Parts: sequence; C-alpha cells; structure tokens
Amino acid sequence: MNRAVLLPLRWLALILAAVVSLFPIYWMVMSSFRTHEEIFKYTTLSKELFLPVHWTLDNYREIFLDPSKPFGRYIVNTLIVAIVVTAAGLVVNSMAAFAFAKLKFRFKRGLLAFFLSSLVIPYEVIMIPQYLLMRDFGWINDYRALIIPQIVWVFGIFMLIQFFSDVPRDILDAARMDGASWARIYAVIVLPTAVPAIITLGIMTFLNQWDSFLWPLVVINEEKKQVIQVAISSFQSLRGISWGKIMAATTISSVPILAVFLLLQRYYVQGITMSGVKG
Amino acid sequence: MRGYRSAIYEKQESRAAFLFILPAFALLAVFIFYPMLHAFVISFQNYNLIAAEHSWSGLANYRKLFSDETFGASLWHSFYFTLVVLPVQTAISLGLALLVQKKFRGVGFFRTVYFVPVAVSFAVASTIFRLIYNKDYGMLNAVLKGIGLPALDFLSNPDISMLGIIVLCIWRAMGFVMVIFLAGLNNIPDSLYEAAHVDGANAVQRFFLVTLPLLKRTMAFVVIITTMDALKIFIPIYITTSGGPAGSTSTVVHFIYETAFKQMNMGYAAAAAFLFFFLVLIISIVQLRVFRTDVEY
Repeated sequence: MNRAVLLPLRWLALILAAVVSLFPIYWMVMSSFRTHEEIFKYTTLSKELFLPVHWTLDNYREIFLDPSKPFGRYIVNTLIVAIVVTAAGLVVNSMAAFAFAKLKFRFKRGLLAFFLSSLVIPYEVIMIPQYLLMRDFGWINDYRALIIPQIVWVFGIFMLIQFFSDVPRDILDAARMDGASWARIYAVIVLPTAVPAIITLGIMTFLNQWDSFLWPLVVINEEKKQVIQVAISSFQSLRGISWGKIMAATTISSVPILAVFLLLQRYYVQGITMSGVKG
Repeated sequence: MRGYRSAIYEKQESRAAFLFILPAFALLAVFIFYPMLHAFVISFQNYNLIAAEHSWSGLANYRKLFSDETFGASLWHSFYFTLVVLPVQTAISLGLALLVQKKFRGVGFFRTVYFVPVAVSFAVASTIFRLIYNKDYGMLNAVLKGIGLPALDFLSNPDISMLGIIVLCIWRAMGFVMVIFLAGLNNIPDSLYEAAHVDGANAVQRFFLVTLPLLKRTMAFVVIITTMDALKIFIPIYITTSGGPAGSTSTVVHFIYETAFKQMNMGYAAAAAFLFFFLVLIISIVQLRVFRTDVEY
C-alpha cells in the first residue's frame, strides 16, 4: 500500500471517529430544543431528523418550573456535595500524602501498606454495610451520608505522594531549623509546589462527585434532596414526560462540566497518565 | 547538645506525622475497613431488613448462591459483557491512540474530540443512548430503515440488548483508554523505531515487533482496569434496561443491588458481593502474572 491510499484512509478514520464521539452529544443538545411532537414525528432520513424544525426553549423553562421535580434544587444539591467533598478531600488526602512522602516516623511502611491495601476493596462490597452504618448514624436522607464517607480517597493520596516526593527534604529541614512548624512547612512550602497536582486531584474528585450515582441512589430517598444524576434517571420513569425535557436536563447537567473539562483537560489527562504509567 | 536537639526534632516529627495522617486514617477505618469486616460477618447471617430477621446462618448464603440460577445468570452476563468489551474497547482505543500519536495539523483537535465522551456521566450517556436506540422514533432505527434494513429493538430484544449497552460503554470509555495508550506510546524511544526501519521492517512489522512488546506495561494496566470496571458494570444496566428484558442484562452488581436494596436481604447480598470480590481479585492476580515483564528500555 502506498501513501496515496493510506493518507485519505487515515483521514477517513480520524473523521469517522470524531463523528462517532460527538454525535450522541449533538443529538442530546438538538433534542433538547425540540417540541414533544417533533421527536416522534421525524423518523425517516431527512434534514428534519438532524435539525429541529421549530426551535424551542420550553423544555428548559419547564424543567426549572416543575415544582414536583425541582431541577434547580438538584443542581444546587449536587454542587454543595461535590464542592464540600472536593475541598475536604484535598485537605485530608494531601495531609496524609505529605506525611507519607516527606516525614520520618515509626510504622510508616506498615501504615502505607494498610492504606494501599484498601485499593483492592471494591466499592460494591462495602456498599451494603456502609448503608447499614448510615442507618445507625441516622444519616439516611442526610448530606452527611453523601459527603463524609467520600472524603478519604487512597488513590488520590497515592497520586500526591508521587508529586510530593520531588520536593527536596533539605528545604524542609532548613525551614525546620528556622523554627517553622511542620504544619507551616506543609501549608507554605509543600502545598504551593504541588499546585498542578492539587488541581488534577480536585478536578477528578469533583467530576467523580458530580457523576456519582449508585451511592446517592441508595442513601437518598427524599425527592428534594436528590442529586442530579439520580434525578435524571428518575425523570425517565415519569409517565408522559417528554424526551425533550429529559434531554434539556441532561444537557444542563453535562454542558457546563464539558466546558470546564475542556479548559482543564491538561490536568485531567496528567492525572490519568500519572496513575497509568507510574503506578 | 546537638544530639539532644535532634532527638526532640525526631519526636516532634513523628508526632506531626501521626497528626497529619490521623484524619485520613480515621475515615478509612470507619468507612472502608470496618464495613469490609462487617460485610464479611453479615455474609454468614440471615439478615433481612424487611422481615427484621437477624440470625447466624453459617454457610447457608454461600451454599444458596451456588444453586441460585439468577445469580449464575447475572455472573454470566457480567463475564459476557467483559469478554466483549475488553478486546473490542482495547483495540479501538489503541487504534485511536496510534491515529493521533504523531503530530500533525489539527492533532490537538482530534485528541480533544475523542476525549470528550469521558466527561459525560454514565447516567447521561445511558439516557442519550436510550433515546437513540428507541424502536419507534430513535435515530439509529431511522437510519437503519433509511438504508433499507429492518428496525431493531436494541433494548427490549433479549438477543441484542446487551450489545446496545456494550456499544454505549465503549463510546464513553474509549477516549480515556486512548490517553493511557498515548502516554505509553510516547515512552517508547524513537531510536527503536529508527533501528527497526534501518533493519528494513515495514509499518506492520514495526507495530508487532516494537510497539506491542514495549507497550506491555501499559497494556497490563489497561487490561486490568478495563476488566475490573467491566465486571462491575451497573449504571447503564439500571438506566437502560433495569436488568431486563427477561433478566437478560442483569449483571452481578445489579443482582447485589436488587437483593440488598429492593428485597432488603443484606446477608445474601453481602455473600454475593464477597464471592464476586474474590473472583475479581483472582482474575486481577492472574492477569498481573500473565503480563509480568522484565523488558526494560
């Protein structure tokens, strides 16, 4: 095979894969601008199948105005949970990572092995007793159930340890001689050097929380307290709900995330490759 | 004097370290390790929240699992799903990575585009595909009919409903795996390709003799995490088919979810989860052994 055949084939593959990647998202956004009738009407290959005929914003208006399914509320709920988990997670996990990466103490290896051993525990196994624990704590239908068990993330600690290891110990010792406390060294010297890692971990945590589904499904039963992903799935079981509204809901829940994601994808990709190549 | 001071420093350092670790340790103990032990304990109990039963039952749960056809079927569906997703998704992702590995005008655009589905949540992706797959007004059937093929009911036909879910999962994950492969490909030194070129190897030979062997570590990582994630598939099942039609898409995690939170049979579900955990662990260990490599470059 020569270049004249290969090059167009290569571009064909590139473009085909791009279309496949984007098409479902395009379909979601276009359907959200259609009227209820239109979605059922155009079912043959035609221009109308791919572009709305009567563009409408009603779907968006309706999902925010429906008092039985308060969509704005779901967004706020999810944002609160995701932001608190991300913030608390960054503090707790980076503190542990700092100690493991830079400090000398007894039982360090044993403790680290203990931490890492939790990585083999699948979430599906502990989900049941975790639910029973939440019941005992009285946290069912309570955001504490969504937040507190999610804060510690051993994968995140592991990632940060690798970043922190690059900080030279000499600098820390010098600061120590000058009378700085370890808390100060952590906050003023170590954390600022790891800003890219912190951003990476922050995005990953936030996205995980934004996408979280199974755990909220289990511990939150009260309609008003639900998070966005579960709310979207429960939209679909409503009788007579239009696909236009469902697609407006999915569009709102994913387009802002997509935008942020595209802006910060460098950090996210860094996180994936760190875990994949070094780990 | 110096020795005395450094002894104090060491002691302070140890204490500081424990304080730094304490919050993470406490959370880990309460919310991960304690539940793990508790899961093990209740898997030997008759523990039903509706019937308010709570008594020891020895190995009864495990024994029942081995003869439970619903559990057996769900186990098979998880494995079938994994056996299809693993090779297909890995091949597609590696293909994409090779397509965008070399720099050319617009390479950044294509890399980003392939990566976009990763940012779409599982719940949203499943919802979109439900609409696209719809028998009466879904886009896919409109296209099939348009080119003269019969319409297919992707999610309510037991023969093909799992394939519909497989396609949606690959769509969402391929960009993620592509990025891992890209990192692996970039770690292979150019000099090796040049050497192979000088020796007269063509593109196909270079792929099989240089790229693939040196990608072994990356491949091991991809295979292991793909297998683990695929075996645990749940959200698309819950949203698109709820395990139906006729139980043809119920996977293990779906079985565990239904048993624990619909029938409230915690003991039985915990036993199923534990059995599944050991299966996944054994598979991961076997895969690690298979991929063990001494190649350094």
